[in-house]
Amino acid sequence: MGYDRILEDLLGREEFLVVGQKVVRTDALDKCLGRARFTADYVPENTMVVKVARSTQPHALISGIDTGPALKVPGVYKVLTGRDVPGENQIGYALHDQPLLNDEKVHYVGDPIALICAKDESSAVEALDALKVDYEPLPAILDIDTSLKPGAVFVHKDGNIAVETRIRKGDIDAGFRDSDVEVEETYWSPYQEHMYLETEAAYAIPDDSGKVTVIGCMQSPFLVREKVAHILGWKLNQVRVIQALTGGAFGGKDDMGPIVCAKAALAAVKLGRPAALVYDRDESAACSPKRFPARIRYRSGASSDGRMTAVEVDITLECGAYANRAPFWLWRQTAHAAGPYQVDNAWIDGRAVYTNKVYGGSFRAFGDLALHFAAESQMERLAHELGMDPVDFRLRNVLREGGRTTCDQLLDHSVGMEECLEKVAEASGWGSRKPLREGTRARGFGVGCAYHGISTSRSTPDWSAASVILNQDGSITYRTGICELGQGSPFGHAKIVSEILGAPLESIRIERPDTDSTLNAKPTHGSRGLMLGGTAAADAAAKLRERMVGVATEMLECDVKLVELRDGFAYSRDSPSDRVSFPELAEELYIRGIPPASYGFYASPQRFYDPETGLGVNYSVYTFAASVVEVEVDKETGQVEVLRVWPAMDVGKAIDPLMIEGQIEGAVSQGMGIALMEDLVVEGGVVLNPNFKDYIVPSAMDTPDIAETIIVEKPYKHSVFGAKGVGEPAIISVVPAITNAIHDATGLWFDRIPVTAERMHRALRGVVE
Amino acid sequence: MRLEFDLNGEHVTCEARDNQSLLDLLREGLWIKSVKKGCEQGECGACTVLLDGSPVTSCLVLSPQVEGRVVTTVEGLEADPVMVALREAFMEDGAVQCGFCTPGMLISSYALLRDNPEPSEDDVRTAIEGNICRCTGYVKIIEAVLDASRRLKA
Amino acid sequence: MRPLPRFRLHRPGSIAEALGLLSSLDDAKPIAGGTDLVPLLRDVERGPRNLVCVGQLGALSYLREEDGMVTIGATTTLSRLLESDTIKRRAQGLHDAVYQMGSVQIRNLGTIGGNLCNASPAADTAPPLLVLDSDVTVASEGESRTMPLADFFVGPKISSLKPYELLTEVRFPAQQRSSGSAFHRIGRRKGFTLSVVSAAAYIERDGEYCRRARIALGSVAPTPIRVPEAEGELEGKEVTEALFEDIGVVCRDHIHPIDDVRGSASYRKGVSGVLVNRALKDAWIRAGGELI
Repeated sequence: MGYDRILEDLLGREEFLVVGQKVVRTDALDKCLGRARFTADYVPENTMVVKVARSTQPHALISGIDTGPALKVPGVYKVLTGRDVPGENQIGYALHDQPLLNDEKVHYVGDPIALICAKDESSAVEALDALKVDYEPLPAILDIDTSLKPGAVFVHKDGNIAVETRIRKGDIDAGFRDSDVEVEETYWSPYQEHMYLETEAAYAIPDDSGKVTVIGCMQSPFLVREKVAHILGWKLNQVRVIQALTGGAFGGKDDMGPIVCAKAALAAVKLGRPAALVYDRDESAACSPKRFPARIRYRSGASSDGRMTAVEVDITLECGAYANRAPFWLWRQTAHAAGPYQVDNAWIDGRAVYTNKVYGGSFRAFGDLALHFAAESQMERLAHELGMDPVDFRLRNVLREGGRTTCDQLLDHSVGMEECLEKVAEASGWGSRKPLREGTRARGFGVGCAYHGISTSRSTPDWSAASVILNQDGSITYRTGICELGQGSPFGHAKIVSEILGAPLESIRIERPDTDSTLNAKPTHGSRGLMLGGTAAADAAAKLRERMVGVATEMLECDVKLVELRDGFAYSRDSPSDRVSFPELAEELYIRGIPPASYGFYASPQRFYDPETGLGVNYSVYTFAASVVEVEVDKETGQVEVLRVWPAMDVGKAIDPLMIEGQIEGAVSQGMGIALMEDLVVEGGVVLNPNFKDYIVPSAMDTPDIAETIIVEKPYKHSVFGAKGVGEPAIISVVPAITNAIHDATGLWFDRIPVTAERMHRALRGVVE
Repeated sequence: MRLEFDLNGEHVTCEARDNQSLLDLLREGLWIKSVKKGCEQGECGACTVLLDGSPVTSCLVLSPQVEGRVVTTVEGLEADPVMVALREAFMEDGAVQCGFCTPGMLISSYALLRDNPEPSEDDVRTAIEGNICRCTGYVKIIEAVLDASRRLKA
Repeated sequence: MRPLPRFRLHRPGSIAEALGLLSSLDDAKPIAGGTDLVPLLRDVERGPRNLVCVGQLGALSYLREEDGMVTIGATTTLSRLLESDTIKRRAQGLHDAVYQMGSVQIRNLGTIGGNLCNASPAADTAPPLLVLDSDVTVASEGESRTMPLADFFVGPKISSLKPYELLTEVRFPAQQRSSGSAFHRIGRRKGFTLSVVSAAAYIERDGEYCRRARIALGSVAPTPIRVPEAEGELEGKEVTEALFEDIGVVCRDHIHPIDDVRGSASYRKGVSGVLVNRALKDAWIRAGGELI
């Protein structure tokens, strides 16, 4: 089915009823009334408390764990260690490098060692204090260069390089020979902590028939089920996982979901009683995986007429203690390395390296943020060298239809980069902007562009599934494994179902993802929730629609082509007053034995790539974004303020404009955070600021004036209504837009973020870091 | 200790520990789940309630300190016209994403509009300065509060 | 982070009762809004066995101006200070400070007494109070003593309060005409955050001249401090923009801040002069002066 042409071909209409309209999301009321329940809200009084005993050493062998003193604390039921894991004590995501509970070796300060299971929080904490762990410290690797040095101690047994990537495209030497200007620089981007308002949590309830139910924060219920079953040594159907409404995720809960749920489940099963594990804020901020720090050495060449001729990029990703998502993160950076531009010669090398620090993991934009900070800074420097306007220079090189990406993927349609860039330039008055460099307060404008592949990486097959049930009273039960994290994707699915079935939005109930009854939609990450999950929803709805229309045709005694489903009624377009309500229609389906429920599936077109060259079709489709930013710099104090942001995004098709704006505005805030103020301080492997007091995130006072989002629509042929993913691309373009604006205001280049007041102050005084 | 106070318009008598925060008392002892635990340092505002009508972070208040006083959460303001206007504006203007900060955000906004029916944008930013949101970037929240004030005026 | 340690919370009905408890109880500490103390208690294995809550004592919460003196009860909340017209006019720098301290929620709980007793070198009420030549009254069972605020601070998070004592009042001469005070600080974002460095200034103007000057800095020393060397350079001089800049430099040269997770010593030194300059300018203009 031509998913992008559902409106015209399947529904026979020209206007949308709900898709593309501003509608109140159905979960908003409960959230405003305070009735919405998150994981910790479900935990009954007197539930057993689980607390994680963690390493105080960055790198050490464990020579002994003495649980005796901890067990003597009144109220403590049990202390579980690696030996108590019935299945395999392994929870690594991509590589087999991460025990659930470490009883042989610890790899970072905060590494889990044991689980305290106790009556209440005070007893559990007292037991944490009493637990005796004997360490044999090993040399701690605290930076990537130390890790890469020959003879460096190994963090894991197979060496300190967890994964390597490469792209060889065109002729790099010729590319640089053909360049008239060349710029080379090394860029550093740091950890970023999610600081979701809700900390990680899981609540596990065992039953007496060899099954455990786990309610928790997560982004992928089926991944959680797989990991929990693996830890317990059980079959998948012995584990039931329910995603509770999640208070912010941004990727972090995709990584933490399995870990926290497995720990709660282990405690629950071992003790035969319900168990709750809720992280403290400082535990979450110090120990959970963060945006991977990256060092990117970037060499770019362009001809004098402003055409990119070559890029040579060397990426070193700091994994920290475990590889986790590193292979996918590094691959995404590698595949996007040239930025959203046509560059025919590319030589990319990447490696992910272990250190003894808190490890990296999923975080909005997944590597593309660090990559674009480097790539877009390079574009700015090139424009400067060439004496060209930054927007004009970019427009000369942006990917267009027919263009090929860094990994030589042909973009045959749905390429909105040019339009996004042109429109933000126009909206911001780029052509007539007046930067101000004199005086104590300097002002400048900067532009940033980005693209982000929507789907799983490389040639991993991407698919999704959903189910729809038409109940006898005409109400609809919709099930998706895509998780509600705040972004509203499941509601987007409901809009799609509503549009296709003609059912009022209020009649559709979206059930919580529950592995016992929901189909696997694959994870809610990579901005794929609406594009892939929504297309599966469309498939399910389309199948059901066909049956409903079939029955309606008979009930209305009209031609099948004339049947309209709308507002909960079926009628013939020729005689609209003759109508059948959905309850009546539903009843008929049941009576006639026509399936009132359907499963929908969607598989994205097959992709392939060659690991030798790194070339191929890496992602299904790309979302494009551009931002212009105006900043003001207080040259006496170094403080940088973002005054105004103009964002644009090619979203394919806007299923819900309000939600798209919400995603972009939220992303601008997080991007501003990492660009200017979010600075995780890690010394000796210890996170010194694991709290809101000292890890600074933007408040309402900090949020800039964000112009109305410019929505560009270049529909993608293989998704419902042509929609593409939205959640991540906005954070990518705003970061270099800010640093480029800082350059415009001060003439200073920053190759490291965040540009804190202190760093700006030092740079303004010519102090080299 | 035995504690008596007014919670959402009802007289409440309950057992409380001296070292129990008002946040924990509300959530655990009294099953008021709208009040959320985000940081326990008074930094994030997810636990904001009204104490004698003024917004405070309940994680910093010790239970005995509310003896004889009035505590209000969103549950107690459901039918209040200012809250109704705020709620409708929040919902219609897209100010709600994950919802975790929302109850606290509404309490702070409520106190603002109750005392200052025609706030400026700066007034709104000041009122919610202590409520951190990681999802929305605050833009639609600020718009919704201003929208609510217009709805109340009309 | 840990659960709060076990303690007994006492809620005396009068100041006398509070003082009685502080002197008779073993290991007791006063608490008002708890905005500093409660987070602190979540970081320690063991805390004081007794907390004596004074926030409910109406007798300690007052704000008066009489006979040219402003007196503030120790448990007066920061909100009340912010709303006060007296503070806005008679302690301008203090108004500046409270305006940017904490959030609405923190200001509704936090008290002036609590901010001073916590004795952080970054306490924002301290520099504006220091430049107003404030005194504090400390009471214990049976006696009370008054001392200059400067003597109240002993070291980082260390005040001169004895375990059985309670800070009861802050007082200072109300600003008169031809005087101005101001407070500036640098945080790490526009929203509420701890001050990385702060400065307060007070000027009494006599025509074009600075008759009297007081300058205080926060977060650059173990306690909030005055800078008498700079004050001396300023008093009696004809005021110009250049003079204020020089005074900023004098301050910068006389301080020895440290590195911490919020900022480095060199940054603090570097921007202290800028803040002093800005505070002096604002104070001068508020005193009715013009700048050449």
